[in-house]
Amino acid sequence: MSTTDKLVFSSSPHLKDRGTVSTAMRDVFIALMPVTAAAIYFFRMYAVFTIVVALVTAVLTELLFRKVMNKKPSLNDWSALLTGLFVALLFSATAAWWTVAIATFIAVGIAKELMGGLGWNLFNPALFGRVAVILLAPWLAYVNGWFAPLAVNFGPVHALTQATPLAMLQSGSLDLPSLGRLFVGFPAGALSEVSPMLLLIGAAYLFYRGHINWRIPTAILGTVVVLTAIMGQNPVYQISTGGIMIGAFFMATDWVTSPFTGRGKLIFGVAIGVLIVAFRMGLAPTEGVAFSILIMNAFVPLIDRKTARPQFGNVRKAVAVQ
Amino acid sequence: MEVKQFIGGIHVPHHKGFSEHKAIKEASLPTEIIVPLVQHAGVPNQPLVQVGDKVKAGQMIGATDKFVSAPVHASLSGTVTAIEPRLCFTGEMIQSIVIAVDKDQEKLQLADVDLDSITREEAVKAVREAGIVGMGGAAFPTAVKLSPPPDKKIDALLINGCECEPYLTCDHRIMLEQPEKMLRGVRLLMDMLGVKQAYVCIEDNKLDAIEAVRQKNKDPQIVIMKMPTKYPQGSEKHLVKAVLDREIPSGGLPFDVGTLIQNVGTCVAVYEAIRHRKPLIERVVSVTGQNIRNPQNLLVKIGTPLSHLIAECGGITEQPAKVVVGGPMTGKAQHNLDAPAVKGTTGVVVLPPELALEDMEYVDCVRCCKCVEHCPMILYPNQISIYCEAGMVKEAAEWNTLDCIECGICAYVCPSKRPIVQMVQTTKPLIRQLQTAKK
Repeated sequence: MSTTDKLVFSSSPHLKDRGTVSTAMRDVFIALMPVTAAAIYFFRMYAVFTIVVALVTAVLTELLFRKVMNKKPSLNDWSALLTGLFVALLFSATAAWWTVAIATFIAVGIAKELMGGLGWNLFNPALFGRVAVILLAPWLAYVNGWFAPLAVNFGPVHALTQATPLAMLQSGSLDLPSLGRLFVGFPAGALSEVSPMLLLIGAAYLFYRGHINWRIPTAILGTVVVLTAIMGQNPVYQISTGGIMIGAFFMATDWVTSPFTGRGKLIFGVAIGVLIVAFRMGLAPTEGVAFSILIMNAFVPLIDRKTARPQFGNVRKAVAVQ
Repeated sequence: MEVKQFIGGIHVPHHKGFSEHKAIKEASLPTEIIVPLVQHAGVPNQPLVQVGDKVKAGQMIGATDKFVSAPVHASLSGTVTAIEPRLCFTGEMIQSIVIAVDKDQEKLQLADVDLDSITREEAVKAVREAGIVGMGGAAFPTAVKLSPPPDKKIDALLINGCECEPYLTCDHRIMLEQPEKMLRGVRLLMDMLGVKQAYVCIEDNKLDAIEAVRQKNKDPQIVIMKMPTKYPQGSEKHLVKAVLDREIPSGGLPFDVGTLIQNVGTCVAVYEAIRHRKPLIERVVSVTGQNIRNPQNLLVKIGTPLSHLIAECGGITEQPAKVVVGGPMTGKAQHNLDAPAVKGTTGVVVLPPELALEDMEYVDCVRCCKCVEHCPMILYPNQISIYCEAGMVKEAAEWNTLDCIECGICAYVCPSKRPIVQMVQTTKPLIRQLQTAKK
């Protein structure tokens, strides 16, 4: 037969699911669109500018690092863009743009590419970048001086001057917005903190697409609710403020930096929940969620090893036959 | 009786519609047949004929006196033209007897043995001489399975009619068209093993087959089980777990938990071997897929070249195509159509251009855990693939790579498109080497 020389050869299985890493990353990007839109609605050009700076820095950083390390560019896996967007959403609209750029550079360049690229990073890149600029604050004070003339100002936006609800909650302020308003949309804090509701809509999309598993978000939120309730706080306020929503649904569920065992995911989530409450109750004033997740990222290899299930057939004795 | 669900597994699109309603049809005569001397898991046969010899259909042409083996027979009358290595569907070159087929074939002489007077030993001998092997794909010699070590007591026989691989329909048609022969085969197997309970297990995407077998079954010791459709329900270990709730230990065999599994096609072959002294010279092969003009379930003489079967079904419609021998999850892709159909050939699946994928470019594991979630062996294919890729044999062994049944689910779901099965297949021999070196 003349047709046979064209047969395609490969190893089994010969059927493959359509999903790819790129579509998954793109889906997470899509899931972040509602809250991004809300942030832009509240903070106007300040939000747009912050996001653009992060996205551009992310792409350039990835290109630079892969060029230097002699690897093929991997922009089409969407991971650089996604990390950029995540970093932007972790900052408030008033953050200096160079701080955002430095955080993005650290996130994509150091936390991801230097660790070996997507799949090998121990820490969530976006959180690593965000926390790095906090820890580098003394050094950044110099940098601020150099960049100060380049600061941008898009005019006054009312939302910029508000205290964050979490700060109000902690200081016992009377201006605390109603729970409903807080949940639907309240412009304060980081870009991602403006609307727990829109984050939940994005998370629902990720569940629907099968990219995230219920275990980690449930464990985190459950732990925070229970612990804060025991301490006499209003647990619903607690989980609607600060970075808990984006942390529980988008950051802690990051494939690469969370455990791959079912039990491991639960342990990971509960531990993050405990840490978040500890941070809120006095360990650190801000970024408690980010610190909590990063701390637990470091324990993931250990958790995986300790919680791996025995394989099928790992039975002591054969079944006795009557 | 309640069926237990095993952990893991996945719903793969069935694609059975191409051939499931096509009645079994006898394939036309090929001009040449290629009979490999090894078509089973075990010791190779020695040829009993020489080049130039005339052979008759049903004549034994290859055998060995080793225990774990099954003889081969000429499936058609003709002249031996060569005894030489020929391409096998696995890609290996295997010593084969090539026969130029006579135009005129006389009808195979069938004996008529009284089943009531036959002894157990005679029956097992008949199965052995007929060269019967497991016809679900693994091709383990059936007579060997019927002679378990005396310390292994068997109390249940499982008949595997799950056919969980997509596309394949040969077992489905056998159950639908020959339920009586199959059930008689089951009874004979039970008698040979001295077993009082048999379960015929059929996935619930074949309700007509379940109905057909139930109707014909008069034997109270044979239970027809409706199994949930889930890949790999037809895997031995998972079938035993689902039906009997017994777990075959790692590295063990079904008789370690007091059971034995036979494929439905094998049951028919066993019946014909004992009743009619008919050797295993033909089997049902599903020639199917989106990319073959006229998908069919063909009764094929062992040794018929794949090219003949493809031509018989109207040829490949679109290029490029992929031809897979066996099911698409575990089957072997072919470089060309020269290899013959053998005793373990369940199907020839012709995939269309959009599914005719080469080994894809893959990226690093992103730890999405989809493979972990679906692995029916409760392994960690993500870790295994990383260690196999890096050549870290010791670590691969520690993550139980040897327990992998190569069902293909991990590679099917992997978003990084990692060829995990291939990595496992290349690493397993290295692990065995390492283990023997230690001893």
